[in-house]
Amino acid sequence: MAFYDSVFQALGLKDWCAGGSSAAPMSMNDLLAQSTGKEIKGEFFPFPSLDNLNESCGSVLQSRDVTKGIEDGFLAAKPALKSVLDPITQPLSWLLDGALWTFGTIPWFIMIPILLAISWYASRSRAVTIFVGLSIGLLALVDHYDVAMQTLSIIFVCTGISVLIGVPIGIAMSKSDRLQKSVVPILDLLQTLPTFVYLIPLIFLFSVTESKLYGIAIILYAVVPVIRLTDLGIRLVDKDVIEAANAFGMNSRQKLVGVELPLALPNIMAGVNQTIMMSLAMVVIASLVSAPGLGVNVLRGIRNLELGVGIVAGIGIVLLAVILDRVSKAALSRVDMTRVKH
Amino acid sequence: MTKQPKVSLRGLYKIFGANHKEVLSYVKNGMSKDDLLVKHRHVLGLQDINVDMQAGEITVVMGLSGSGKSTLIRHLNRLIDPTAGEILVDGEDVMALSEAGLRELRQMRMSMVFQKFALLPHRSVVQNAAMSLAIRGADEATQKAEAMKWLQRVGLGGYENHYPAQLSGGMQQRVGIARALTANTDIMLMDEAFSALDPLIRTDMQNLLLELQEELHKTIVFITHDLDEALKLADHLVILKDGAVVQQGEPQGILLNPADPYIEDFVSDINRARVLRVKSVMEPLTGTKFAGDVDIRDNLESMIARSEGDTSLHYRVLDGKEPVGELHMRDLVKALVPRISSGKN
Repeated sequence: MAFYDSVFQALGLKDWCAGGSSAAPMSMNDLLAQSTGKEIKGEFFPFPSLDNLNESCGSVLQSRDVTKGIEDGFLAAKPALKSVLDPITQPLSWLLDGALWTFGTIPWFIMIPILLAISWYASRSRAVTIFVGLSIGLLALVDHYDVAMQTLSIIFVCTGISVLIGVPIGIAMSKSDRLQKSVVPILDLLQTLPTFVYLIPLIFLFSVTESKLYGIAIILYAVVPVIRLTDLGIRLVDKDVIEAANAFGMNSRQKLVGVELPLALPNIMAGVNQTIMMSLAMVVIASLVSAPGLGVNVLRGIRNLELGVGIVAGIGIVLLAVILDRVSKAALSRVDMTRVKH
Repeated sequence: MTKQPKVSLRGLYKIFGANHKEVLSYVKNGMSKDDLLVKHRHVLGLQDINVDMQAGEITVVMGLSGSGKSTLIRHLNRLIDPTAGEILVDGEDVMALSEAGLRELRQMRMSMVFQKFALLPHRSVVQNAAMSLAIRGADEATQKAEAMKWLQRVGLGGYENHYPAQLSGGMQQRVGIARALTANTDIMLMDEAFSALDPLIRTDMQNLLLELQEELHKTIVFITHDLDEALKLADHLVILKDGAVVQQGEPQGILLNPADPYIEDFVSDINRARVLRVKSVMEPLTGTKFAGDVDIRDNLESMIARSEGDTSLHYRVLDGKEPVGELHMRDLVKALVPRISSGKN
């Protein structure tokens, strides 16, 4: 005799309930009652949850049907999703594989000077360039050069694609309040959803051997700040300057390219900096789904309790993070130079 | 004489709010700005503005903050759209223009100078000055040559490769003026162009503007809250209060014959001797004995200095070489005393 029996009786739903499958899987209490031979008393006043209602009325779904429904739904949609997403995302696999191959094939005595040249070109700061050289040297000294380059190549590709996707979305959001209202919750979701959770559907959709699997995971996670800050940056452009642009008859393309984007550039660069940091954070977690790089060593440290391996890899990631942060921040402050009195 | 005004506003209304078209009829039936705000939550920006702006003149629109003067100037190039009324430029209705036509108007026929300069911070001074030409798609050489010419003219030669943030406020506004001049438009809109500058620089800039105007004869619409500035620059003065025109006309006429107590209060603090000119107080030529000849454009201050305060003197007034009237020092002194406002004293 379950608690809610009388409720269904009073509502006149007895027949409807009887039509439901009484052969639904048993609850824990039923099992206990069966095995011990005596009826387990439920709570005095149980919450009308799906499982509790199901006890009184077989037509009510059980909670396990909800999770099962989601899974069935996803599996049903999978072929359609896969046939659309697979070709679209295929270039991502090529890019990632290509970058990994390039970074892995170029010998260190060419690669390190190239990286130093990039740092110098972006930051124009001797201190930052020397720091980059020292950090890479240190990683190479403990034979972490190859894994560090793998991580770096993944970050280059994913950050690049995040900017290519994020900036146009940010621009569109800044132009339309309605779009902004609808996109912001999605961005919030992407940022707060535990990173492991959106690995799950990706594993279902793509095979674990494909590099786009972790590529998509990293991009989904890292694209958020560049979208947000592009939107914010364009919205914060001085209204007086926009008015002047209008008063002199600029069309919307001239305004975007000549006024809004250049004035929003410091904010956009700050977004790119955040995107780099977030893809670095994600590349470690993505090692769970076969992303190569320093993350693999961290994972090995956890799995086999190899303390030293984990810590060296962890410090390697910190070094990469600091390098990327300093170079992108130095580039940002160089952009700001003409805006201030000096 | 059927001289067509360069710009004219006909029955212009502007109401800010979601249902501005609906509440227009209340305003037309005489509802006040305060009632409109309380009862319908709409802000009355402009009501029944009728102003003609003649080619080659400086029309100054003056009013205190909130009087709607900045709203008014933004209607001329439709940075703000009116609720009702007509805006005619060279007899053509600006409201009827397509988007492309409006851009053409803003590029080729009207340029604007802003209170906060509104220069592009990431472009150099010469690029800023050349902005209008760059928008039209002129080639680099033309852009640079034109921009340099006008930068020289406003006294900024040698600063062309600086960035706006490196210049003082006065110099930035010179760039703003050079930018408007480079556009080479007949009409120049100046929205409180000198209000953000300190007094000495402001006087410099006013003189620069008058000097340029002597040479270029543009149709200038100038917005200000400063009566001294208005009187100094205006060929035609429009005084706004609560979005309506209280009085408009020749500035000397307004000073001598204020239409209502509001304007009397306004003009009572002015140094009239410096603003008023002989032309405004002279009488038709009847006498024959004069203490000397004076020019019609001399201001009263210089006359007092010249007569050494003797009120019994009479002068003959010349316009160029031709005698056009006579000036009694007694009238001059009387004109210096403002008509006392009915609200005060």
